[in-house]
Amino acid sequence: MSAARAATRWQFTFAIGLLLVLQFYVRPRLFDGRYAPDFALIGLVLLAIRFGAGAGAALGLIVGLANDAMTPARFGASALAHTVVGYLAAWSRAFFFADNLAVIAGFLAVAAWTRDLVVLLASGTSDGGLVPALLVDAPLHALATAIAGSLLLLLFRSWFGIRLDQ
Amino acid sequence: MPRSLERPEQRRDTWLFALCLGLSTLALFLPARWGQRIAAGLRNTALAPLVWLQDRGAEGRTSRARFRAVSAQRDSMAQFAFDLPDLKAENDRLRALMGLGERIGPGFVSAEVLRQTLPTEGRTLLLDKGSADGVKPFSPVVSPEGLLGVIREVDERTSIAMTWAHPEFRVSAVSENGDISGIAAPTAVGDASRTTLEFRAITYRDTLPEGALVVASGLGGVYPRGLPVGTVAGVEREQMGWERVYRLRPLARPSAASHVLILQGAEPLRVSEAFAAAARAAKAAAAAKAAPIPPAAAPAPAIPESTTALPPTGGAPAATVRPPDSTAPPRPRRARPRADSALAPTPGTPPTAVPDPTTSAVPARPDSTR
Repeated sequence: MSAARAATRWQFTFAIGLLLVLQFYVRPRLFDGRYAPDFALIGLVLLAIRFGAGAGAALGLIVGLANDAMTPARFGASALAHTVVGYLAAWSRAFFFADNLAVIAGFLAVAAWTRDLVVLLASGTSDGGLVPALLVDAPLHALATAIAGSLLLLLFRSWFGIRLDQ
Repeated sequence: MPRSLERPEQRRDTWLFALCLGLSTLALFLPARWGQRIAAGLRNTALAPLVWLQDRGAEGRTSRARFRAVSAQRDSMAQFAFDLPDLKAENDRLRALMGLGERIGPGFVSAEVLRQTLPTEGRTLLLDKGSADGVKPFSPVVSPEGLLGVIREVDERTSIAMTWAHPEFRVSAVSENGDISGIAAPTAVGDASRTTLEFRAITYRDTLPEGALVVASGLGGVYPRGLPVGTVAGVEREQMGWERVYRLRPLARPSAASHVLILQGAEPLRVSEAFAAAARAAKAAAAAKAAPIPPAAAPAPAIPESTTALPPTGGAPAATVRPPDSTAPPRPRRARPRADSALAPTPGTPPTAVPDPTTSAVPARPDSTR
């Protein structure tokens, strides 16, 4: 293994660790409520873009199960949502040539909104709560996640192994 | 990439996706008990470091807020420290307002809420106390405002509370005077922040006024009687002329709760009394804040004999007022009511029994409630 590749691997590991710290330590410390950016979802989308559809789906399952274990409103709902999002994120990259920061930010926003949609549907949310949750809360949550993901990419894009157009 | 290399990779991705999709669907349709066991297993093993990390993060956030509150309290205390009777009265008052835990007695565990990012978060809450701290399943979870939910699952270090916004939540409830009983359950909307409660199974002849308090009835043995659930916000619907369903405004908000109390075998009577006393104290504080300052020439208020500064019936505590400053024109001694004036009777007044200053409470000054 070359020294450059080893350094890249360390950077990537550090980036994942950074996301975990952001999700589980910084987020509860700084943000309150459901509009807080979802750093686990950002990590999932970036990893899916880098490693492909199959790995994205597998990572989605893991992230989703972790979410289900922490918020067991309906066990399996989050796993299903993240699996779908991980798979679709990797495929979308192939279609949209996601080497642009705005495109990736859009990916993140759509991914967050789709995740919320699948979670709400799979956890048995009725019509009365679904519409406002999808039209008001989920877009704001998606926006916060997209902004946080863009900032992270601007700062650490090489660590995540994401190539962006200059 | 050549097609011959691309195809097997795509096929592998598709198979992997199908496998993950199948596993997640399987998890979704697992019996609830199995799902809870898997979730508990994950929290206690692979996710334990992350739960610990989040606990520290949440602690940091709340400790900052606590630090600010304590600093503010310390500054206030320093400002009023020169006047010990007032300070004692303020202490009593703050204890009355905030000492829900003291009133409930030893049977509770205080816990911190670890927030998540999923939209279904308000239906269940992850708490940072578990069986190692004495938490047991089916223990009521309360906030200072009232009933928040019930413990559904308990691990060694964490527990899951099902809040009143959860579709499966039910509590047997009665009106405050005990005349009208029914079942309180969440409305059929799914978003936890917009869900309210319904007071169902009320016979058509019974009516509840808007604003009436509804409390837990104590039936079933899970929720102690008298635990506040919500206030009536109007009639939700009427069914076939035999049942009326009321809309309840819940008192406790799951989305706003950062600290909760988990009741563990607390005496129902004490719980009921604690919430009643907290409500009285809040009313008294609001009344004291809203009450106009009496003129300086008003007669000195009577000093209560009891050791608490709050009247037992929930009325506003008698306020003593000092002259604003030395620029005010001199007034006769009797026209200057002071808290300590009862300890030294003025000449000309009939002798009265002097209360023990260590046991008799001095009414709080209105500005000491800050």
